[in-house]
Amino acid sequence: MSDEYENKTGYQAQSSESITSSSIGSGVATDIDYVRPAENAEQDLYHGHSFITKWIFCQDAKVIGVQYFLLATFTGVIGLVLSWLMRLQLGFPGAAGFMTAEHYYQFVTMHGMIMVVYFLTALFLGGFGNYLIPLMVGARDMVFPYLNMVSFWSFFVAVAVLLASFFVPGGPTGSGWTLYPPQAILEGTPGSGMGIILMCVSLILFVAGFTMGGLNYLITILQARTRGMTLMRMPLTVWGIFTATVLAMLAFPALLVGSLMMMLDKLLATSFFMPTILKAGEILEYGGGSPILFQHLFWFFGHPEVYIVALPAFGIVSDLISVHSRKNIFGYRMMVWAIVGIGALSFFVWAHHMYVSGMNPWFGFFFATTTLIIAVPTAMKVYNWILTLWRGNIRLNVVMLWCLGFIVTFVNGGITGIFLGNVSVDVPLSDTYFVVAHFHMVMGIAPLMVIMGAVYHWFPLVAGRFLNETLGKWHFWLTFLGAYSIYFPMHYLGFIGVPRRYFEMYDSPYMTSAVGMNEFISTAAFIVGAAQFILIFNIIKTLKTGKPAGHNPWQANSLEWLTPSVPPEHGNWGEKLPVVHRWPYDFSVPGSREDFITQTTPPSDVKDSKVEKT
Amino acid sequence: MNNNNEKEQQSTTHKIGIYLWIWGLLFVLSFFSYMVDWYQFQGMLRWSLILFFMFLKAGLIMAFFMHLFWERYALVNVLLWPMTAIACFIFLMVSEFKYTVFTRFFYFVVGG
Amino acid sequence: MSDPKIEGFDLKPGFSGMAKDTASDQTMFKGVHWGKAMMWIFLLSDTFIFSCFLISYMKGRGSTMVEWPNASEVFGLHVFGVDVPLLLIAIMTFVLITSSGTMALAVKYGYERNKKMCGWLILATAIGGLTFVGMQAFEWSKLIHEGVRPWENPFGAPQFGSFFFMITGFHGTHVTFGVIFLFIYAYKTFAGHYDEGKRGWFTTMKGDYVEIEILGLYWHFVDLVWVFIFAFFYLW
Repeated sequence: MSDEYENKTGYQAQSSESITSSSIGSGVATDIDYVRPAENAEQDLYHGHSFITKWIFCQDAKVIGVQYFLLATFTGVIGLVLSWLMRLQLGFPGAAGFMTAEHYYQFVTMHGMIMVVYFLTALFLGGFGNYLIPLMVGARDMVFPYLNMVSFWSFFVAVAVLLASFFVPGGPTGSGWTLYPPQAILEGTPGSGMGIILMCVSLILFVAGFTMGGLNYLITILQARTRGMTLMRMPLTVWGIFTATVLAMLAFPALLVGSLMMMLDKLLATSFFMPTILKAGEILEYGGGSPILFQHLFWFFGHPEVYIVALPAFGIVSDLISVHSRKNIFGYRMMVWAIVGIGALSFFVWAHHMYVSGMNPWFGFFFATTTLIIAVPTAMKVYNWILTLWRGNIRLNVVMLWCLGFIVTFVNGGITGIFLGNVSVDVPLSDTYFVVAHFHMVMGIAPLMVIMGAVYHWFPLVAGRFLNETLGKWHFWLTFLGAYSIYFPMHYLGFIGVPRRYFEMYDSPYMTSAVGMNEFISTAAFIVGAAQFILIFNIIKTLKTGKPAGHNPWQANSLEWLTPSVPPEHGNWGEKLPVVHRWPYDFSVPGSREDFITQTTPPSDVKDSKVEKT
Repeated sequence: MNNNNEKEQQSTTHKIGIYLWIWGLLFVLSFFSYMVDWYQFQGMLRWSLILFFMFLKAGLIMAFFMHLFWERYALVNVLLWPMTAIACFIFLMVSEFKYTVFTRFFYFVVGG
Repeated sequence: MSDPKIEGFDLKPGFSGMAKDTASDQTMFKGVHWGKAMMWIFLLSDTFIFSCFLISYMKGRGSTMVEWPNASEVFGLHVFGVDVPLLLIAIMTFVLITSSGTMALAVKYGYERNKKMCGWLILATAIGGLTFVGMQAFEWSKLIHEGVRPWENPFGAPQFGSFFFMITGFHGTHVTFGVIFLFIYAYKTFAGHYDEGKRGWFTTMKGDYVEIEILGLYWHFVDLVWVFIFAFFYLW
């Protein structure tokens, strides 16, 4: 019977270790199930007893993950409110009475910084990373739980410092999220006093805190996997988070250095970034510095940062698509290498953000080339997602809807990225709304859709209950259609030349041609923003009355669903660590009893499918 | 925490001679690089000597004092490959500062 | 440090070994303690920090139109009626390399479970580090006395002082932290925490002499950075 299947389908379940006999089930089960003995000793964990050690200064990675998630979401909501205020001004100038140009710039800056660093990065790596990595690789916890706790509280202080800048004299910095000197620290820019200093301090704290967390993620993945868990058997979620963490560890140093030097320029009047400046006929005390150096440092961090946000999203969406279309991910190895390749390339493309900055013009050749090369692995990933869906047994639930929304949005944003990667196309389009549309599509909405999908997917694990599907569908459709209503017209605004970062259009020709569109965009933005509160309502409602999920509700294969208790307890695995025999994508394997074979199912339990020796 | 079997480790530490040799070499190389300044070599000779001694010292410290020479390639490669990003950064910043100086000279001294 | 023995796993040398280690389950760095792997990755990240500092220094120095001060003269010392270029820096380099050597030996004696030698050598390293920091303080005060400030200096380009104080300050901070930890570890060694496998203060991990190697990695890294600062800042 097994021969029939092998020859017809050519499909092999990927499983482990030595096979001594070609026919399974002939009484040599011990040989078949052989997995090397454990290399690592059992990890001793610190179990908190009081409320404070259990829920506040907690060393359990899962609790820390939830803490990260909640705090990041909180700052994200602040970012959302700021974007509302900006859209209010753009769509209906003067409607918000208190809004001055200074406020507008401060809101733009804080919205950008909050969303990119304090929301998306913290949510993906701090939130999902902490919760999922130990569970998915079969560890009891992160390898350095104490450090992990300090990591979260550094992040907490960083957020506190960031938000404190709203309340200092002069308000938060208004220099744009890129913080370009010289204007970031010169008088005349809003928040050029305490605002920029607190921003730099907050970023330095964030980097320090993140380094502690990042070391944990990397060492847990590299050195603390369970028996049988090879790198090529890890779910793509872990691969995405892993590569993003590597990028973060190598890219954040540039941000740290840039922030530190900017702070010294402000506090000690050094001239790292400050050229000789003539202001109202007077030469300022600065002189001889190089403003473009800051741009290079910033974007040496900034471009990998894009992938720090995108790669976990790529990984997570691969897993969601595979589970909810009941098919193995198409081209797993290709997906892994694409993630790694994108990560490596991301360090060689940074100056494509600087085509109009006045850098050495020859750089355009180099950076346009490397930028366009990144399109290759990225496109491979899109094809693989589509081919995973192809002829799959698709469950069209909310999770799948978010995934489909992601693919469409990501392709959209990616294509405009190819426009902007070319110097000659970028020069007229840069600093227009086309750029705004591009990066919101590709690194705002697309990762956000994955986050939403992931929340609906893993909520049954975290809380033990299903989120409400009907509310979820309202949430999805309002967000998806609304986001397109916001950002599609922005491409057009960019083509007609509407500049970004303008408080209002004054007497320009854009005033007449763009005004209706701006009103439309703003209205959509209000609706989309409000729609996000459906999720919060849904979560609160579900926690009380949701349908209990039980074990492995999505019939998934990966380890996080296979814990003895749901939600998993501190230590994750109860008495014995799981032993892994296969990759996490054995869905709909021909001949198997069910349409999924979990990672811990030993080969002897899988009838009628040939086992590959690894 | 790891299963490192201390007994195994114990039997495979390195002889003291190797450390003393490297130590001595580091002193000698530092002395040589100091001599570069003492004799006031200039131009390419100075720079190439400085870089040569610097990389030699750095290599010795990493290879022997930090044990990279004895580590498995998995670790060594993970540590060394990211340096290509730094190399690229250095290379590009060299041409960038040349360009900045050129523009400054062109607009401020020559006058555009 | 050297090849461990792992049950059921055949350790191969070279690139084929790398491929096999990477493809295997459980760990990628075979026989490497978690803390040691963490320290290596941290040092990699720290390398990027110092690289960014030095690259900024290169860019700043390269693109300034004002002449850069002659380091050989600025850092020279007037001893016994003779001008000796870079004398203090040479001594600082000597001290730091000395302490690096004692640290390397401390690691070796640690693995040989020679508590006494290990502890004294760590203490010697700590004193070397302290001397280095003291000399750096002397150097800073001398320069400040001569009128060098982060925002200006009498010798030439203002960026000279800025980069000097920032980079050596950042390095000095590393040394200072290293010295603090060296003293703590010397205490822990003499108290026998590594022989007994006593748990650390903030961790459930058991003490082991591998911690000496981890601290050693950090200390050698500080020395390594000094090699680059010495070459680029003082000699160049």
